Amino acid sequence: MSDSQLLRGTALRRRSFDRFISVLCLVAGVIALLPLAAVIAFLLIEGLKAWSPAFLVERPGSVVGPGGGAVHAIIGTFLMTGLALVIATPAALAVAVYVVEYRESRLAVVVRSAVDLLAGVPSIVVGIIVYALVVLTMKHFSGFAGSLALAIIMLPIIARTSEEMLKIVPRRLREGTMALGMARWRALGFVFIPTVASGILTGILLAVSRAIGETAPLLFTSLGSNFVQTDFSQPMSALPVYIFQNAINIGFPAAKERAWAGALTLVTIVLVLNLLGRWLASRAAVRGAN
Amino acid sequence: MDEENDDVTTTHAAIGVNIAPPALEVAHEDAEVTTTQTAPAAAIEVRGLTAHYGTKLAVSDVSLDAGQRSITAIIGPSGSGKSTVLRAMNRMLEVIPGARLEGSVRFHGMDVYDPSIEPAAVRRTIGMVFQQPNPFPTMSIYDNVAAPARFNGMVRGRVETDQLVERSLRLAALWGEVKDVLGKSGASLSGGQQQRLCIARALAVNPEVILMDEPCSALDPIATLQIEELARQLSKEYTIVIVTHNMQQAARVSDETIFMSMSPERGGYVVETGPTTRIFTNPSNKLTEDYITGRFG
Amino acid sequence: MKAETTSLPPAGMQRLRRRRVAGIGDPILGWAVRILSVGALLAVVVMIVQTAVDASTLFRHVGPLQFLFGNRWEPSNTIYGALPFIYGTVVTSVLALIFAVPLSIGVALLIMEYLPRGVAGPVAVAVDLLAAVPSIVYGFWGILYLVPDPRPIEQAVAASPLGVIPIFAGPAPGPSYLVAALVLTIMILPIITAVSREAIAATPRLQREGIMALGATHWEQIRHVILPFARGGIFAGAVLGLSRAIGETIAVLFVIGNAPHLAASIFSPGYTLPSVIASEFREANQPFHIEALIALGVILFVLSFGVNLTARVIIGRFERRAGGADVR
Repeated sequence: MSDSQLLRGTALRRRSFDRFISVLCLVAGVIALLPLAAVIAFLLIEGLKAWSPAFLVERPGSVVGPGGGAVHAIIGTFLMTGLALVIATPAALAVAVYVVEYRESRLAVVVRSAVDLLAGVPSIVVGIIVYALVVLTMKHFSGFAGSLALAIIMLPIIARTSEEMLKIVPRRLREGTMALGMARWRALGFVFIPTVASGILTGILLAVSRAIGETAPLLFTSLGSNFVQTDFSQPMSALPVYIFQNAINIGFPAAKERAWAGALTLVTIVLVLNLLGRWLASRAAVRGAN
Repeated sequence: MDEENDDVTTTHAAIGVNIAPPALEVAHEDAEVTTTQTAPAAAIEVRGLTAHYGTKLAVSDVSLDAGQRSITAIIGPSGSGKSTVLRAMNRMLEVIPGARLEGSVRFHGMDVYDPSIEPAAVRRTIGMVFQQPNPFPTMSIYDNVAAPARFNGMVRGRVETDQLVERSLRLAALWGEVKDVLGKSGASLSGGQQQRLCIARALAVNPEVILMDEPCSALDPIATLQIEELARQLSKEYTIVIVTHNMQQAARVSDETIFMSMSPERGGYVVETGPTTRIFTNPSNKLTEDYITGRFG
Repeated sequence: MKAETTSLPPAGMQRLRRRRVAGIGDPILGWAVRILSVGALLAVVVMIVQTAVDASTLFRHVGPLQFLFGNRWEPSNTIYGALPFIYGTVVTSVLALIFAVPLSIGVALLIMEYLPRGVAGPVAVAVDLLAAVPSIVYGFWGILYLVPDPRPIEQAVAASPLGVIPIFAGPAPGPSYLVAALVLTIMILPIITAVSREAIAATPRLQREGIMALGATHWEQIRHVILPFARGGIFAGAVLGLSRAIGETIAVLFVIGNAPHLAASIFSPGYTLPSVIASEFREANQPFHIEALIALGVILFVLSFGVNLTARVIIGRFERRAGGADVR
């Protein structure tokens, strides 16, 4: 009767299927994390074999011969990402402010959709369009073109994060500035943005970590070079491009080693930036909750 | 209305901790239990229930009985832990993050929290209707009733399922209104109809008890009366426990009433229990009287 | 409270006057913001237009339809046809979706429903980190391990009775549509998982408790309530993943074998739009070669743009329907 119904419990078939599904999900998790473990493992094993601190400061030697460092690539990455940041951040902040503070305007809606769609454009296409306008016009490849391509890639990321941050500004704070008769630009510059500064910084960090890892767009814009270059109007090397150049020469053991060393360096930088960005984001979230 | 009073005075439900008079309806085999034992015919017995949400004390030392085939109402001001007690009965309390409890809940003498008993089995036997009607919007009306019955293994095949769906919807007084639109989404009905759908759904898995957590608070007065009438009908076959903040509803509908209140030190606690007519006309406890006369709450 | 005086003390007048002067800041802000945002986007649009113009010079040599559906690509003979690459892009991306979506749902459920809090967090971060690894690293790792290592298995399958079916036919030299799809799967899994997780978390508590109260097992809760509610979100995630897979260049370049043809077998080498552009660009000195590559880039852009646009429309409709189905 009802007593036995209580004691009967769930049918074995249902229970075992339930258990089976949970095992399936566990297997999915393992499969998903396996590549990460494998890549990191190989990076550490092969990369540490080939790496040495000299790698960071030596100039490259011959492409197929042994030895040589990546200082030109590191400097190039640093310079181009820096310039890209300078170009992208003001534009991205402008977009975020426009979309949040002037959201009644129809143009603002268009801008937002456009930036969203820009985020979905493949990075190689970004490289191509910068090539078509800038490289062909300037008649040669340049670090500036590379920075421009990186900036276009970074813009939607920074814009979206900043937009989310500005939206989170508490109502009370907004109303407070209005009650004080504060001009919008003052409220924005001295109150809102500083309040969500760490959130915006997170967006910037994530955008940078993304841009640093990009290869394809640079192949069409800054091209790459074997020399240390600080002139933006000339082709520049970058770490991912350096790895690429060595990786396609896999037949030569020296090139292969350099590719591993470069990959280890690049992944380390990217992961550090990424984790830093996350940590900052979690801190901002905690503070925001208060 | 007078028949109700008769039922109430010859109640077959337990009163507080006193031994209850045996069930007068002998139609069911369950009645054998009461004639061979002196145990009360309470379907659910709660003893010494104390519950916390994290560090916050919700209820302390609650003891009450819900008699078989009758309606037991739990009333009291908000915060007195009525829903907490209700959820403890069908093991829906433990799904709230941070919730923990001590004490015992027995169903026909069996400890519902015994490790050998699955929570899912408890919930099948002791069903629940929520404050906000929650039919599954991703399913049709038919499937809302059929799916739980199907995965609980209550039916096999199209014909059996059709029959069960019709039977459950009839029991919930909803069949006439939906029999031609069974394919429509569960969420396309009015509030009162949705709540009746939820009742039909709960009935489809063949429970013995139906717990109702303020089932009418989101409904209009007409739908409310329909649900109350439905509850009275169902109480002939099922044990109903209804939590309500609406005193008049408790007075209208229930056979037994349990009044709970709350204090900072004790959290929620039981003030008084007894037959509904007595509680409302001649309460023993001053607090009860104050609440009923509207002096607080 | 209309009892305010109508004439303000001198200090008050001063304050009002000052406010009006300070008002210049806001209009300047408004203009600066508009110019910067619209300007940035216009610059991008100009670049896109210029690209299309450059590409169109190809059509002096070969007609647009001929190019789009041409299945031969031989730059040394100035024969240019886009079909092999469109085919390769579609095959690898669709295959990657087929692998990634179930896997992602499983991982999302694992993180949200099964793992204890303390473990779920790090696992989620680990999955997200998969997306942070630059594609050059996946490409490099892929060609060293993902190309040679599965080869024996691929060859075994091709030699087995399954090999009769065209998609499993041999030979299996190593680099292939399949390996490219595997690499893409790894790369798009994080985004689909992240979006699915959000969708799962958004399942209304009331619905979950509803089916729990009916005696459902955990899987039954997932199947009847959580997944139906999360459907829209998972779809959105899948489209984001598809969009990423379509555009992935470097990782695919290393493992797909760079064969500009259409082949039925997944074990066969092939080519995709982005990978051919990247790999042939530097040596493109044949007449119209660069224009053809740029034209391929335009096709890629249109493809990915189309996918994103369709996604936004469908997701918009999902959201409207989900909102309407709520309890009235």
